[in-house]
Amino acid sequence: MYRRRRKSSGLFKYLVLLAFIGLIIYIAPQIYASRFKFNPQQILDHSVLKEKTFDSKVIEVVSPKNGIKAYLIEDNTNPIISMSFLFKNAGRASDDADKRGISDIVAALLLEGTDSMDATALKEEMEDRAIGIGFSAGLDDFTGSLITTSENQETAYALLRDILSNPRFADKELELAKQRADNAFLRQKEHPASVLGVEAARFIYGSHPYGRNPLGDRDDIMRLKRDDLLDFVRSRLTRNNLIVGVAGDISPEKLGLVLDEIFGVLQKSGSTNFVRQADVTFNRRTKNISRRTGQNISVFAAPGVARSDKNFYPLFVANHILGGSGLNSRLSVAAREKEGLTYSIYSYMSLADKSPLLQGSFSSTKENFAELTGILNREWQRFGAEGATEEEVEKAKNYLVSSYNLRFSSISNLADILMYMQKENLGLDFLQTRNDKIRKITKDDVNKAAAKYFRPENMLFVNIGEF
Amino acid sequence: MRNVLKTIIFVVLFVFCISSANAKLFDASEFYLSNGLRVIVVPNHKAPIVKHMVWYMAGSVDEEAGKGGSAHLLEHLMFRGTKDVPEQSFNNILEQNGADSNAFTSLDYTAYHQKLDISKLELAMALEADRMQNLDISPEAFALERDIVFQERMQVVENNPASPFSESYRRLMWGEHPYARPVSGTSEEIKKLGLEDVRRYYERFYSPDNAVLILSGDIDVQTARKLAEKYYGRIEKRPLGVKASFPQIKSDVKAELKMTLPHINAGRITRSYITSSYRENPAQAYNLAVFSRYLGEGDTSELYKELVLNKKLALSISSGFDYTNRSHSVFSISAMPAEGVAPEALNRAIDEAVARAVNDISLDRIEKTKRKMLSGLVYLKDNPFEAADIVGTMAAVGMSLEEIENHADMIRRVKYKNVKAAAKKLFEESPVFSGVLLPQTGDK
Repeated sequence: MYRRRRKSSGLFKYLVLLAFIGLIIYIAPQIYASRFKFNPQQILDHSVLKEKTFDSKVIEVVSPKNGIKAYLIEDNTNPIISMSFLFKNAGRASDDADKRGISDIVAALLLEGTDSMDATALKEEMEDRAIGIGFSAGLDDFTGSLITTSENQETAYALLRDILSNPRFADKELELAKQRADNAFLRQKEHPASVLGVEAARFIYGSHPYGRNPLGDRDDIMRLKRDDLLDFVRSRLTRNNLIVGVAGDISPEKLGLVLDEIFGVLQKSGSTNFVRQADVTFNRRTKNISRRTGQNISVFAAPGVARSDKNFYPLFVANHILGGSGLNSRLSVAAREKEGLTYSIYSYMSLADKSPLLQGSFSSTKENFAELTGILNREWQRFGAEGATEEEVEKAKNYLVSSYNLRFSSISNLADILMYMQKENLGLDFLQTRNDKIRKITKDDVNKAAAKYFRPENMLFVNIGEF
Repeated sequence: MRNVLKTIIFVVLFVFCISSANAKLFDASEFYLSNGLRVIVVPNHKAPIVKHMVWYMAGSVDEEAGKGGSAHLLEHLMFRGTKDVPEQSFNNILEQNGADSNAFTSLDYTAYHQKLDISKLELAMALEADRMQNLDISPEAFALERDIVFQERMQVVENNPASPFSESYRRLMWGEHPYARPVSGTSEEIKKLGLEDVRRYYERFYSPDNAVLILSGDIDVQTARKLAEKYYGRIEKRPLGVKASFPQIKSDVKAELKMTLPHINAGRITRSYITSSYRENPAQAYNLAVFSRYLGEGDTSELYKELVLNKKLALSISSGFDYTNRSHSVFSISAMPAEGVAPEALNRAIDEAVARAVNDISLDRIEKTKRKMLSGLVYLKDNPFEAADIVGTMAAVGMSLEEIENHADMIRRVKYKNVKAAAKKLFEESPVFSGVLLPQTGDK
C-alpha cells in the first residue's frame, strides 16, 4: 500500500510535473510575446495625457461705424495679434484681359511705400517694430495679412491703413517690379515642374482665365502704369468684398474699432471682372511635353466638388484613402511602398471657385513611367468600381478627426481658418462641428462618391519628360 | 529639403524674431536620462498638440568613405519595420491616430518627428523608442527603399537644372572636407549601397547617448520626464562609432566656378566665405549674424539699398550666415543681376558696396540692426512646431540649453567695434569662393 502509494504518488508527481512543463511550454511564449508585443490600444488606454478639446470660441465682430464684419478668436497666451483678410474675386483670374498680371504687381508694390513714407522708410518702421504685413494675388482672391505685437499694434494698424489708402506706386519701384517680372518669366522656363504647371493650366482651361500663366502676361505687365495700379486698388479692394479673420491678444470691442480704422478708408464697393464657371473636357485627353529631364513628371485632373457641395465630405474621405497625404494611401502603397517606382504620388481636392477638381501628380525616371501610369489608372478604376473597405473608411476618418487640432499651431493659421470659414460660409460653430461632419460619413457615402468621381474615362493628363 | 527648413528657421530667427528684455527664448527645460539621452521640453499650452522629435547627432558627414547616401537610406528604412512593429505598421499606427510623421537627413544630423494630438503622444514615443533599438531591415524592404531613394534624388536634385552648378560649387568649396558631398549620395553611390552599409551606420550612431529628444507643446516638464523615462529609459547605449573628422581649410584659398547650363535662362551669382561656426567661436558667430543682417538681409539692408535701389545693378541680393554647424560655417552673398548687367560688373560693385558697408559700421547702425533682430523674438513663443525645429537644430550641433535660451542676450551683447573687426577678418582672412551660373548662349 505504502509502496503502492509511493509508486502511484511517483507517477502522479511525474504527471503533474509533465503537465506543469506542458503549461510552461504553452504559456511562456504568450507571456513573452505579451511582454514585447506592440499594442497601440493598450498604450493609449494607459496614456497619462488625455484628450482635450481645443477651446476655440469664435465671435463675430461687427465694426460700429462701417459695419465691417470679422471672425475673432481672442487668445491672450502671447502678446501678439494676427489678422488675415481677403478681397473676393480680386485675384489673378479677374485681372483685365489686357492687364494680366496686375494683381500680382499690386501685391508686390503695396509694400513699396505710401505717399508719406518711401519704401525704405516703411520697411524700416516695420522691421524695427516687428510688424509683418504681406499681400498675395491668388487665383480667385487677393489676400493680405498682418502680424504685430500688442505693444506695437497701433503703429501696425496705422501702417496698414496708410498702405491701403495711399499706396505710393512710384515709377522707380514699378520699373523694378517690371524687371523682376521679366526675370520671373525667364526663370519659369527652367525647372520642368514649373514648365509643367504653366502648360497644365493652359491645357486644362484653354481660353478660360484659369488657363492663364500664373505670372500674367509679359507684354501686359510692361505696359502697366501707375494709374492702372491705383485703379485696381480703388475698384477691387473694397469693403463689399472684404473678409477678415483675427486671432490673438485683442478684445471684440477693440477689434471693432480697428476694423473701422483700417478698412474704413476703402471704397464701399467697386467692380471686378466676372469669371464664368470653367467648362473642362475630361476624356482622357493627354498632352506630352518633350524635354530632357531627370524624371518624367505627370499632372492629372478629374472633376471634383465645391466646398459647399453635399458630396464634399464623402469625397474628402475618399480622396484621403486613394491619394491623400502620407505613405498609406492606396496610390502610395501600390506605386512606392510595394514597387519602389516613385518617390511621390498623390491626389488632392483642388477647390478653385469656378472649377473644383480632383488633381494629382507623380514622377519617375522614364523607364518606370509607363508602369507608374498603369498603376494610377488601375487604382483609380478599382477605387471607383469597388470602393473602399469598412476598415479603410474608419482609418481615414480617424486620421482626419485626430489630426484636426494640428492646424491650431499658430495664431496666423487660426486667422487664416477664420477667414476661410467666412469665405466658404461654414458657420460660426464650424470648429466645434467639423469633426462630427467627418464622423457621420459612412462607407456607403464614401463609395457612392468614389463611384461618381473616380472614373478613368473622366481624367486628363499633362506630362513632361522623355516619351 | 533640409536647406529649405534651415532657411525657414533662420528667417524666423533673424527676420521675424522680435523681443522683450532679458526673457528666455523658449522657457524650455532639459534633463538627461541615465543612458545618456538628452531631453528638452518646450511647454506651450495654447492648443492640445505636441511635436515629438528625436535628433541623432550624426548625418551624412559621418558615412564611411564611398558609402554616400547610407545615412539617408537608413532614414527611409526606419519606417520599414522592427521585430515588434513589422513592415508598414509604423506608418499605419501613426496615421490612424492622426499624426503627421516624417524625417530628414542633413550633413550634420538626422531627425525623426511626429506632430500629434497630445493624447496620442505616448504612441509616438513608444514607436520611436522601439525603432531606436529594434530596427529590422529585410532584404526586400532594403531593395525597394534604395530604388525610392534613387527616385528621390532624380526628382529633387537631377530634375533641377541648377543642381550641377550647386553640387560642383560645393565640391569646389569643400574639397576633402565631408561637407563637399551631397547628403543624398550620388546616383552611382546609391545604386551600390548594400544592406550591411546601412545596418552598420545604424549600429554605430543610433544610440540614446548620441540623441536629443525634443517635446514641444502641451506638456509639462514633470510629465515629460516620467514619459521619457518610461519609453526611452530602458534603452541601452551602444558603443558609438567614430564620427567624421573635419580637415583644416586653408585660409588663403580663392577659387571661382563659372558654369553655363542647359535650361538656365537667368544668371545668378554667389560667393561664400568659410568661417567659424558657433561651436568654434560663439562670440564671433553672433558678431557675424548681426553683420549679415546689417549687410544683406531684407530690403533695408546696405547691399539692397546700394545695388538694387541706387545702382540698379541687381534685381535681388541677400547675405546669409547660418552658424549651426558641427564643423565650419559659411557666410554667403547671392544676387540676381539686372538685365544686361555682366556678372563681373556686379561682382565688382558688390566688392565696393561691401567695403563701404564695413567702413560705415557705427554704433547707431549696429544698435538699430540689433533692435530689428530682437524685436520679434516673442513670436517664437507662438508656434510649438517651429520652436521644436529651432531648439532641435541648435541642440543637435552641440549648443547647451543655456546657449539656446540666451540668444537675445548674445545679440544684445554684440558691440559695433567687434562687428567691424569680425567683418574685416571675414573678408581678409577667410577662404573665398565665387560662383557664376549663366544661360547657354542662344539658350534664352
